[in-house]
Amino acid sequence: MSKIKVTCKVVMDHICENLGEDLNSEKCIAIKNHLDECDDCKNYFNSVEQTIEFYRKYNINLPGDAHERLLNALGLKNE
Amino acid sequence: MDEEKLIEEAKAGDKKALTELVKKYEQTIYNFAFKICRDPAKAENIMQETFFSMIKSLHQFDGKSKLSTWLYRIVANHCLMEVRKKKNRFVPLENDDDMVEDKYVTDWNTLPYKSIENNELRKILDEAIKKLSPDYRIVFLLRDVEGLSTEETGKITELSVPAVKSRLHRARAFLRKEIDEAFKS
Repeated sequence: MSKIKVTCKVVMDHICENLGEDLNSEKCIAIKNHLDECDDCKNYFNSVEQTIEFYRKYNINLPGDAHERLLNALGLKNE
Repeated sequence: MDEEKLIEEAKAGDKKALTELVKKYEQTIYNFAFKICRDPAKAENIMQETFFSMIKSLHQFDGKSKLSTWLYRIVANHCLMEVRKKKNRFVPLENDDDMVEDKYVTDWNTLPYKSIENNELRKILDEAIKKLSPDYRIVFLLRDVEGLSTEETGKITELSVPAVKSRLHRARAFLRKEIDEAFKS
């Protein structure tokens, strides 16, 4: 069990900075332990993850005729 | 044909190889441009400019990075030029304490809509990211949305690794807070 004590603010800052990266330092282990016990931090962590996920899923397909316009503009239409 | 060979042939003037490269990356470039400028017509224009630049500069591509990383750098520059034309007022991200709540944090598991197909949610996401300064927007999109490494994001944006992390931290916190407030209203 880690001896480092962390506050919600530290947890939130650190989560934001390191989300998606390796969290194996003593500080990060303390953060994981804190997360297990603090609902606010857990909610915060989940909402940051969800924010990223929303923007990842929000994709736009290339309009059907944009491909032709692109090749035309680049002089590659007949290739 | 593998990409390295396609690049070599495109550099030598083979239009078929060049067309293959364009086909391979057009969707990625269009989607990224849209995510920065949030406008289909502008995204298409940026996509065309990006491939013009690619054709013009392909001989300078040395293969030390992935072609996709090189293209992200080109499209990011075109996007920044486009977005900066606007006289939008972006929210300054000076004070971290304004973006992080110390008290009660909403449980997003209870959100009214979570599907990205929902128009209300799309509107909220559009509004939130439009308020974010383009310099932060681009770091967030490259690192978190497109999944590039911190180092690659730094090379594309010409920022140090600590600067990328700092902008990413603020961008995530800002967007989370904007979305949270929109859900609460």
